[in-house]
Amino acid sequence: MKELSAYLRMGGCEPRGALAGRIEELKAEILKAMRPRRTWRRVSVADIPRPGSSLLRHLAGCRDAYLVCGTLGTGVDALQRRLSVTSGADALIVQALGAAYMESWMDEMEDAIRAELAPGESIILRYSPGYGDWPLAAQRDLLEMLDSSRTVGVSLTDNMLMVPSKSVSAVIGVRSQELESGVHSRRGG
Amino acid sequence: MEKRCAFRKFLDGLKRPFYLDGGMGTELQARGLAPGEIPELWNLTRPDDIRAVHAAYLAAGADVVYANTFGANPAKYHGDAPLEDVVKAAIRIAKEAVAAASTPERPRFVALDVGPTGRLLKPAGDFEFDAAYESFAEQVRIGAAAGADLVVVETMGDTYELKAAVLAAKENSDLPVVATVALGEDGTLLTGGDVECVAALLDGLKVDAMGLNCGLGPDKMLPYVKRLAAATDIPVVVKANAGLPVVVDGKTVFNVGPAEFAADVAQLVEAGARIVGGCCGTTPAHIAEVVRSQPPTAARRLPTGNPHLPTTISSGTRALNLSIDDTFVIGERINPTGKKRLKQALTEGDSAYVLREAVSQAEAGAQVLDVNTGVPGLNEAEVLTRTVESVQSVTDLPLQIDTSDPKALESAMRHYNGKPLVNSVNGKEESLAAVLPIVAKYGGVLVALLLDEGGIPPTADERIAIAKRILARGAEYGMKPSDFVFDALSLAVSADATSANVALETIRRVRNELGCRTIMGVSNISFGLPGRPQLNASFYTLAMGAGLTAGIINPLSVEMMTAYRAFRALTGRDRSCGEWIEFAPSLVNVAVGSGSVGLGSGSVGSTLSDPKPTLTDPKPTLTGPNSTLSDPKSPSPLFAAIKRGLKADAASAARAELDSGRAPVDVIDGGIVPALEEVGKGFEEKRVFLPQLLMAADAAGAAFDVIRSALARTGGGTAPKGPIIVATVKGDIHDIGKNIVRALLENYGFKVIDLGRDVPPERILEAARRENCRLVGLSALMTTTVGFMEETIKLLRKELPDCRTMVGGAVLTADYAEKIGADFYSKDAMGAVRTAEKVFG
Repeated sequence: MKELSAYLRMGGCEPRGALAGRIEELKAEILKAMRPRRTWRRVSVADIPRPGSSLLRHLAGCRDAYLVCGTLGTGVDALQRRLSVTSGADALIVQALGAAYMESWMDEMEDAIRAELAPGESIILRYSPGYGDWPLAAQRDLLEMLDSSRTVGVSLTDNMLMVPSKSVSAVIGVRSQELESGVHSRRGG
Repeated sequence: MEKRCAFRKFLDGLKRPFYLDGGMGTELQARGLAPGEIPELWNLTRPDDIRAVHAAYLAAGADVVYANTFGANPAKYHGDAPLEDVVKAAIRIAKEAVAAASTPERPRFVALDVGPTGRLLKPAGDFEFDAAYESFAEQVRIGAAAGADLVVVETMGDTYELKAAVLAAKENSDLPVVATVALGEDGTLLTGGDVECVAALLDGLKVDAMGLNCGLGPDKMLPYVKRLAAATDIPVVVKANAGLPVVVDGKTVFNVGPAEFAADVAQLVEAGARIVGGCCGTTPAHIAEVVRSQPPTAARRLPTGNPHLPTTISSGTRALNLSIDDTFVIGERINPTGKKRLKQALTEGDSAYVLREAVSQAEAGAQVLDVNTGVPGLNEAEVLTRTVESVQSVTDLPLQIDTSDPKALESAMRHYNGKPLVNSVNGKEESLAAVLPIVAKYGGVLVALLLDEGGIPPTADERIAIAKRILARGAEYGMKPSDFVFDALSLAVSADATSANVALETIRRVRNELGCRTIMGVSNISFGLPGRPQLNASFYTLAMGAGLTAGIINPLSVEMMTAYRAFRALTGRDRSCGEWIEFAPSLVNVAVGSGSVGLGSGSVGSTLSDPKPTLTDPKPTLTGPNSTLSDPKSPSPLFAAIKRGLKADAASAARAELDSGRAPVDVIDGGIVPALEEVGKGFEEKRVFLPQLLMAADAAGAAFDVIRSALARTGGGTAPKGPIIVATVKGDIHDIGKNIVRALLENYGFKVIDLGRDVPPERILEAARRENCRLVGLSALMTTTVGFMEETIKLLRKELPDCRTMVGGAVLTADYAEKIGADFYSKDAMGAVRTAEKVFG
């Protein structure tokens, strides 16, 4: 929950008092409401849809990459809709908790991917459509390659919003020692 | 209809399971289908391969092959060849294969395969139910015309989409309809519904067979097949995967072989499945083994339906079994009869007010919510449908659709996600003829009032006779006794001393003689008498004792909920009294803050304003570490409670101030406003953070509520400032920002009309004009929807030049706001309050 304070726009200050109490209560509710799901597929970097130059730079030195999609499910959105009816504070807190849990879920997914890497392989920072010059439109192709609507229940609206709202799609490059040339040593596994 | 009857007869005459085919995708991949390639295009480019797969399954013993049309609905399909050609070719190929394998003794069949659209329906996503319906309808029309023998709706992960597909299949063909859903490892659909939700929905829609496919291996499906078979007497289908997928060398494989698969399927048949096949990873060898390993045919007695069917209603995510041995609370408050404020909200399209009624009843313990929107002059079909949809977006409770307008009933039932209670039909022929066909078509549990052309009979004998007649008429439409709940009808005991006794006797006899469930609006009994809440509660207890299944009551009434909780505790239904123990503290709360006004049924009583007292932090401090909010000048408890964001404390402090004789206006001006002002200033100076500001505003709102009900009692009061209309613009479905602004504005004393999200410009204009509104707040989250914001502003400018607009949202800046013609830009919720203060002076 390290990011919670940031998602609550509290600039690093720890929630205290009544707010801290309410956060604990709402944690219990969101944990009941969420049904985390995830899917991934390893592909050749050449198969990544519509890569721009910034993504290719990011993936320099990678031959393969994982296409990934994770979600907390429709229940979190439903909870947020319900809470919005009676309390702006509750809605904001659940929004922030959802974002923080989503982040943890993606971290767990990366751990699971690391567990299936071959010896000598590691993964680099994940990269999502909309970053740099990788167009948001690539998201549609990426989700289709993962068959995400069927496997994890994530789809896009006409306006390219991912639904459920607590969902993340991304590409994660795979480094292997034999290809490693010393450059781009960002966070790895 | 004929084809559907023939299918059921055929199934019932079959002395063995009915066999479906196995995986298509797996077989095509083995023949070279690339990931991401559209399988349906093979109908045109590689018809021989498709035909060969069908032929292999038929040779293995399948009675039915699924044509290669899984993704061929217009919402999903985006191949180069026309959809119609793809579907027609698929059916033709399957028919060729079937013709080659069929004999007069052993006919084989072609199913049009209907898979999901890949879109998420509202309110979870942005896809309209009607658009999903239309997409499925087109596929069904093409497939039926091309000569499919049945329609299978499969791999559905959402009950609402499932309903659209089944309706499309039934309304656009006369073919038998089979529907199956995909469960995850936790036994739920992608959108959260469970097996009972699916069974209630599909049983109501009267599909010809229902069940499960994909998602799980056959062993994991066993408990769910048992639950399905207990929930319906419609034949159960299972098409399991060959185990769970495993990735080996980058390829997805399924590890359960034919022999193991067939052994598991035999158990599924034992558990009640009558139609079996395979899904992902299964091959002709799997199906051949399933067929081969079934015990000798004629000797087997296959399960026929369950004679003790439950009476289940449902939403998309929750099924409620109205057990005849228990008693349930139906919240009555969303009914404008005698409620001025609700009438006004429905007329204004103010969804927030209605939704608050829904959420507060759910929190107080209602298990079903009645929704009635009958206001003279309104288009009830439209308003009821919209209200049902929006109430479903904020609660998972099943609803009771309450209307006397058949057109409104049909529209609301069609768009309802699940199987609702329907209120009501009665013994008059006119009512039966209008209501039964609608409820039989869409599926619902029907409340039947025991009256007829002769009025309300004075004796239980005559009421039972009407009940029997209604059951007989329902049977003509295929409705079972478990599809009805009878209203025993309570009449004012002040006018007729026997009325309570007759109602109670009716409840007992409906239960004992007909084996059916009962329902009753409890509060009529006390009409015209003083002490109504107490009289109602006593009568409610008697009715529950007589066997009442469901009471339509005000769940915010302490007296009624006390009667309900006490009855369940005292009769052993609330085992170990856990619910009573949880409920009891709210009684203490009420004693402290007594004297509040019950809003239900025009009666005065106590109200459960906050059934679960919250936030008992010994040293509550709302403020951040670098904040200095303690104010020695204003030590009042109300001021402190608001500053600290303590809702319950703020409400009781406001109540205490009123009790001590302070004028409501003084409590507002001397307590609430200064506290809000201080917190607001702290926020602007960055000493207080957004969540703290919002908690303080929530607490102020709770105090305002107390004062408002006091003012309503004395008839006085100051009109709130406004109104302000708020909406998230067309195309945008994420509305947290708008909701926060609404909450804050309301808690600062403005009247806000919330039109919701994804609101077209015309609806905003219409509301602004009707309300003579001077300020409209618009929110947009995405760059892709700011265009609609601009369009809305232009329209308002042109039609209502005196109306001001303020805008906000993640992608907006002051410059951008000016460019699209907005009068004001708010960078945060407090900014919106300041703008409103400026406009309304």
